[in-house]
Amino acid sequence: MGLMKDSFTIFTREMLIFRSSIRTNVIRSLMFPLVIILFFGQLGNSVTNVPVAVANYANNQQSMQFINMLEAQGTLSIAAVTDQASAMNMLRSGSVYIVIVILPTFPSSGTVPSVYIYYANTQFSSIGVALPFIQSAAERFGASAGSQLQSQGSGIIVAQPTSGATTSYRDFLIASVIIMAVAFGGIFSGGFSTILDRQLGSIKLFLIAPINKNAIILGKMMSGTLQSVFYGILALLLGLLFGAQIAMGIGGIVWILLLIFFVALAFSALALLIASRIRAIEQYAIVAQMITLPTWFLSGAFFPASSFPPFLQPFSAGDPLTYATAALRQVMLAGYIIPQTMLLDIFVLAAFSLFVVALSFLLFKKTID
Amino acid sequence: MADNAVEIKDLKKSFGDFQAVKGISFNIKKGEIFGILGPNGAGKTTTLNMILGILTPTSGRITVESLDINRDALEVKQMIGFMTQETVVENQLTGRDNLRLFARLYHVPEGQISGRIEESLREASLVDFGDARAGTYSGGMQRRLSLVRSMIQDPKILILDEPTTGLDVQSRVSMWSHISSLHRRGITVILTTQYLEEADALCDRIAVIDHGEIKAIGTASELKRMAAQGNILEVTVKDSEVERVNRLIKSKFGIETKVDGDRIIATIEKKSLSTSIKIAQMLEKEGSDVLAFSMHLPTLDDAFLKLTGESLRDAVSKDNTDNRAAMYKR
Repeated sequence: MGLMKDSFTIFTREMLIFRSSIRTNVIRSLMFPLVIILFFGQLGNSVTNVPVAVANYANNQQSMQFINMLEAQGTLSIAAVTDQASAMNMLRSGSVYIVIVILPTFPSSGTVPSVYIYYANTQFSSIGVALPFIQSAAERFGASAGSQLQSQGSGIIVAQPTSGATTSYRDFLIASVIIMAVAFGGIFSGGFSTILDRQLGSIKLFLIAPINKNAIILGKMMSGTLQSVFYGILALLLGLLFGAQIAMGIGGIVWILLLIFFVALAFSALALLIASRIRAIEQYAIVAQMITLPTWFLSGAFFPASSFPPFLQPFSAGDPLTYATAALRQVMLAGYIIPQTMLLDIFVLAAFSLFVVALSFLLFKKTID
Repeated sequence: MADNAVEIKDLKKSFGDFQAVKGISFNIKKGEIFGILGPNGAGKTTTLNMILGILTPTSGRITVESLDINRDALEVKQMIGFMTQETVVENQLTGRDNLRLFARLYHVPEGQISGRIEESLREASLVDFGDARAGTYSGGMQRRLSLVRSMIQDPKILILDEPTTGLDVQSRVSMWSHISSLHRRGITVILTTQYLEEADALCDRIAVIDHGEIKAIGTASELKRMAAQGNILEVTVKDSEVERVNRLIKSKFGIETKVDGDRIIATIEKKSLSTSIKIAQMLEKEGSDVLAFSMHLPTLDDAFLKLTGESLRDAVSKDNTDNRAAMYKR
């Protein structure tokens, strides 16, 4: 009872300070996401001359028109080849990014696809633009393009496309920018304020007050979490402003908030944990960056985590942000939930948060002065 | 004893191999102003921090108002108000919010908080500034705010760590009268200071502490008497002459002397006036370049010099340099 009341007193203090410089806080938290979305979000938007090999087995008038249409806007640079095998060779050697196979039945109106598209997943940024373009062109002829197939190295063909291939790169990026805003917000604002409190002596005054030390930690953790969630919501709004969508609709917001909450909690606790052991703000900034940047990059922020080289895979799999980002993309890009996957993502995030929270209670109490 | 606000017994604190406090014992009576006087690094702040409960003693026992500070930590903390050496206020919060924060932390009943805040603002002459951010206050205003804040819960004991360090003369005098008025209200005040005149003017009793040990404890006049029977003679000469004059006084009059810069200080226990005159005549005859020659009753500075072997004036200037260095480090 007393603990909660005292924690709330500390929480109120933190939020008053936060409010007193709200403008700076908002601007600072939006700066990085804005830059990332503006610069990297444009990748693939002005894609031209994506090399494509077309094997046309239909050779009828409509198929010729279809190819002309593909060529017309300069998005694709088409090489006509005689058969599928040589087209696939070009795909594997990297001389084209996409192979289009037009079946003799083109443009069939039946349920069997008459156009097959194969692509190499290494060129996701151009693919992201080119694929929807080809699909919509095919649809104009009433042809169904079938599901796109991903080519993997030496084998023939395979697998479902990654979600990144069917949406724009910008939307793909925005999900990870939201996660970043939350994680960075938690680490930086919470940590700096704690170190300042130590340097200026506020912590000492709290320590001599007749309150449990845990109340100080809990209060700071609650305010740090709330502030980080706030930063996450700002980044989400910024993303929506730039055209991102929540594919799942309104219901997706609940999932988004849940995911943001766990990341916020974990990184606010992490901030307290580190800040209780470091006295200089410069030193803290270095340590904080050493933690946030790799965890963010490893989470598949800029390209799907599945395309990391093998030696990075374990690190990526051990990075809690990987799960947060993947789950957020599922909600925002795919629009539906795969229950087992979501359960795993949430479980990993919750377990990680609880672990850091427990550790920070344990260590902050010992080291703070 | 129920008369004591604070009892300290065999208190020791080591940091690694370094013994900051080497087994000190003393009692502070209820309602007195108790001064802890000592140079930097003497163990003043370490001792205070142990009373405040933010440092755990290596050994020894502290009781506050008959409560053990370990067993009844929260009750003890509730009774103690503390003002830090460096002024600490929440710069981004208003004066009122500063006070409200600490009223809540010290569990002032919610219904009384507003009243306490207004009372405190009046006491600190900050009524017109209650809604301005504390960061915009002048140094003196921040100091007053931090003083009334440290008493927001109506503490039985108030601990002031160098309350007037860095204040201008006016603010210092007003701080002194403030502290005296607390005393009249019956609050026990413990203060550390590096100013002898402050200890002399304010404190009922003074503990001189150096190298983690208590060198002496008593009222200002007791300490002065401890320093010397008789009078103190001070001869100031040119730098180049110090050694010769010192030798002359020692050899011709058999008096123990101490040299402090360009001053030669001697305690004359008997017939101090006539002895002084003889010394003056001798120096004249020897042709020494005497800049100043004076005789006075022992001061607290003399007591301090005798007890710690170091003039507090020197200790203070060293202290200030350290403080400034510490400030730049931030």
